[in-house]
Amino acid sequence: METASDNPASGPSPAALFSRDHKIIAKQFLALGLAFLAVGGFMAMLIRWQMAHPAAPVPLVGRALFGASGGIISPAAYTSLFTMHGTIMIFFAVTPILIGAFGNFCIPLMIGARDMAFPTLNMLSVWTMAAATGTLTASFFVPLGAPQAGWTAYATLSTAVGTPGLGQTLWVVAIYLNGASSVMGAINYITTIIRERAPGMTWLRLPLTVWGFLMTSILNALFVPVLAAGMVLLFFDRVFGTQFFIAGSTIKGGGDPILYQHLFWLFGHPEVYILILPAWGIVSDLLAFFARKPAYGYRVTVGAFVAVTALSSLVYGHHMFTTGMSPLLGESFMVLTMIISVPAVLLFLNWLGTLWRGSIHLDTPMLYCLGLVFTFGVGGLTGLFLADIVADMYLHDTYFVVGHFHLIMAAAVLLAIFAGLTFWFPKMFGRMMSEPLGKLHFWLTIVSLNVVFGGQLVIGYAGMQRRLYDPSVYEFLRPLLPLNQLISRAAFVLGAAQLIFVGNFFWSLACGRRAPENPWQVGTLEWSIPSPPPHHNFEEIPVVNHGPHELGNPLVLARLGRDWLGQTEAAELAWPARTAPEGPVAGDGAETADIAGAPAAPEGTT
Amino acid sequence: MSGEATALGREAAARRGRATATVGMAIFLGAAAMLFAALFFAYAVMRAQAPAWPPAGQAPLPRGALGANTLLLAAASLVLRAALAAARRGDGARARTRAGAALGLGAAFLAAQIVVWRALALGGAGPASGIYGSVFFAISGLHALHVFGGLLALAVIVVARGAPGVARTDRRLALAALYWDFVLAVWLLFFFGVCLR
Amino acid sequence: MPYGPPRDASLDGHLVDGAFAYLTFTTGICFAIVVVVMGIALLFHRRRAGRAAHYTHGDRRRDHVLTVGVAVAMFLGIDAVLAGRSLGHLETRFWSYPDADPAAVRVEVTAQQWAWTFRLAGPDGRFGTRDDVVTLNELHVPAGRPIYLKLHSKDVIHSLYLPAFRTKIDAVPGQTTRLWFQAREAGRYELGCAQHCGVSHYKMRGEMMATPEADWQRWLDRAVQDARLRYDATPETALGAWDWEQG
Repeated sequence: METASDNPASGPSPAALFSRDHKIIAKQFLALGLAFLAVGGFMAMLIRWQMAHPAAPVPLVGRALFGASGGIISPAAYTSLFTMHGTIMIFFAVTPILIGAFGNFCIPLMIGARDMAFPTLNMLSVWTMAAATGTLTASFFVPLGAPQAGWTAYATLSTAVGTPGLGQTLWVVAIYLNGASSVMGAINYITTIIRERAPGMTWLRLPLTVWGFLMTSILNALFVPVLAAGMVLLFFDRVFGTQFFIAGSTIKGGGDPILYQHLFWLFGHPEVYILILPAWGIVSDLLAFFARKPAYGYRVTVGAFVAVTALSSLVYGHHMFTTGMSPLLGESFMVLTMIISVPAVLLFLNWLGTLWRGSIHLDTPMLYCLGLVFTFGVGGLTGLFLADIVADMYLHDTYFVVGHFHLIMAAAVLLAIFAGLTFWFPKMFGRMMSEPLGKLHFWLTIVSLNVVFGGQLVIGYAGMQRRLYDPSVYEFLRPLLPLNQLISRAAFVLGAAQLIFVGNFFWSLACGRRAPENPWQVGTLEWSIPSPPPHHNFEEIPVVNHGPHELGNPLVLARLGRDWLGQTEAAELAWPARTAPEGPVAGDGAETADIAGAPAAPEGTT
Repeated sequence: MSGEATALGREAAARRGRATATVGMAIFLGAAAMLFAALFFAYAVMRAQAPAWPPAGQAPLPRGALGANTLLLAAASLVLRAALAAARRGDGARARTRAGAALGLGAAFLAAQIVVWRALALGGAGPASGIYGSVFFAISGLHALHVFGGLLALAVIVVARGAPGVARTDRRLALAALYWDFVLAVWLLFFFGVCLR
Repeated sequence: MPYGPPRDASLDGHLVDGAFAYLTFTTGICFAIVVVVMGIALLFHRRRAGRAAHYTHGDRRRDHVLTVGVAVAMFLGIDAVLAGRSLGHLETRFWSYPDADPAAVRVEVTAQQWAWTFRLAGPDGRFGTRDDVVTLNELHVPAGRPIYLKLHSKDVIHSLYLPAFRTKIDAVPGQTTRLWFQAREAGRYELGCAQHCGVSHYKMRGEMMATPEADWQRWLDRAVQDARLRYDATPETALGAWDWEQG
């Protein structure tokens, strides 16, 4: 069996920095994203400290970070913190990990390609992202301080009228560069999926993960440029004195601040799906893999992905219900938004259908996936509250919104990241992650996560606005302090629990068990080659014979004595012309124990 | 394997590569089109909300100069098409010369555009002069950046050398021509939709 | 629930609370179903020696009809009902502005970093005149009459938020937005800014005093006298008034 040391491409070397190999680029995105995840998470801890103990000096790090104010987070620092927390988490942590790392790693491997269609563009994408992170980091250290207009950077606040410093300008540039990187990635992913699929890898044989990335990339290619346009205009307003978003009593015949919101949310709402679609794809595949059953209703799931993608840009107006938009427009956005619940319900039904009567293996990746279904359930359903204009009048801009989108973007998407990392870690690095540490991390995370974001829903229902430096200014918010403190404590547990993951990651990297070729006993193409894969992935371009979830097929069980079938294998051809790979099946007896000797109970297949 | 088969294989691979590159370029142009569509949307909003258009007291645009510029850009696009035709005939030298000519025309467009901007800015109709200047400078500025990108690509084609250059120049020229057509289309929309109205 | 919204003091706030309750109930049921099904699967369909997973792709026509049918039924049963209810309430209540109601109290609101200015027209009913009553961070209204606000912003986007009235509306530079509500009972209610508007966003707090009609009239008369005394002829625009009908 090949191992990491046999594979020169995976070793760290200076040349790897400028590699065009999709697997190395994936690792670069992963490293960058995880580093910023840590930074953004640390900022969240500081924000939660302020919410629990307003204007008390931050322990341990306060003196070092906020020396000028005696360790206390000042209102300006707090504003910068929540601005940068959101920006970093969305654009510089989740995007590079989920799309940059997993997209790059999985797409070519799962469709049977040797690399991306445009490897140089791929390298350029990671370097554009690096430039963006450099620019964003620089914005901390310039006169008049870090950006302070919130991650949404609403005009007029984000123009020179509201935020005159260089920091906000650098923020605009950083977001533009980040978007350029995303578009480069999207061009590559779409082209690769269209052009580089292995023979026999028809559209309806693609793993759902790849479908997720395809839809995400389409949205990225179409709507990131709209954000870019917003950034260009904002940049012009800030630097060249144009007046696209500047209006007010002092300016005659000026621009329209609401135009910025249209441009931002025309991107911003698809962005939610840009981040959740890969998560849906991953969880749809993994639930099948670990329930040892084909994904229930594959075609309906694909249809739901496509429907969400098509609808995503038509519903963005629900972010703007309180801007005084015209009634007809508001009502249309409300109804369109509610229609999204149809594909969302379909996904849930299919996930439950996949689990039902399965043979569920509770390995760590599966735990993360089940956690995702749970948190996405709460997160998705609370979205309906905000889609309803009547309820939104009260809930808009409160912590209810914060809790809702964190349950999706921070809980569900993050759990998908953990699921994907633990699942593909063996393929990426040739070693297994620790199961006990993974399970400990999962349970601590899932409990604290739900206390934090569930608590935020309650706080929002009680009426607390977002982005308040000190809620106790309002009398009606003062009784909420104990709940805020509870949320903060849970958040600190959540933060501390992530150290377990970090420890697990590095420990497994150094001394995890060597991964076999196919540790999870599944049939998608990436598991048919060594862990980690050699430089060009496939010795010979594979020929695909069926879909990705051929699990628990009684025919295969009878002929091969195992419950899975590789996509390159065909039941009728697989035996005896090709024997099963020796290592994994024989070496991991427990995996097949439950099916050994099970009576075949065939049911009609389609 | 016979030499003939290898050549056939190479040609098939080249054809495959060309098609893949075209798909990639098409997606890129789709993305760029969304960028400009958003800018034109901003223009439409600005215009719809203005009491009068062009706003009262607005200095007129130098339509003659802008018209001449339009011709320059159209000429660059046409010459590039001719270069592509030459490359497809296998006439690498002529293809390169024509690409060079297109490069010159494109550069002239940029230079003339800078002259127009300068004149406007000095005449008190710069980007900060109001909503009209905002629209004009933002769209034409971003368009000029795209022209500049196209010039860089052409420069690479003109300067690139090598024996199997023809097939490669052919592919790159085809992509460049597609891109220049896009840049021209955006300009025409801008010229007729913004400058002349 | 120990933590909840401030007591509803408005005429229509119960509609908001009703929507919230309806949503909590229906989505709660949906979520419970998901959790129960998942729980059963996790309890009883775990890996066990001698039991294989049930082999189905769930991709037969029957399966598709089932899932799509359930999804559409849920949409019609929950979302469509909610949408119908809300559209009705928007048409008849929230977006039915008291333009023609002579009893409505009109207020021009100017938001700026980080304060609210409220302007009442005074006895002449016109804004920008010497009997205008202007208050800072304090809105005085009579209970039991519709309050009709129009909002401007001087600098960045703000959002007037009245938690006890279950409503909010943005104040946008260069535009006029509007909002109406009615206090059911007299009282002192907090108002604030809901849209991040800069470093001191959290300080942009104000109060609304809803008083019985007679008390409010008394307050208004005194305030008008005061305003007349202190009036100086600075241009109206500097004072932040505008023509109500054009706003």
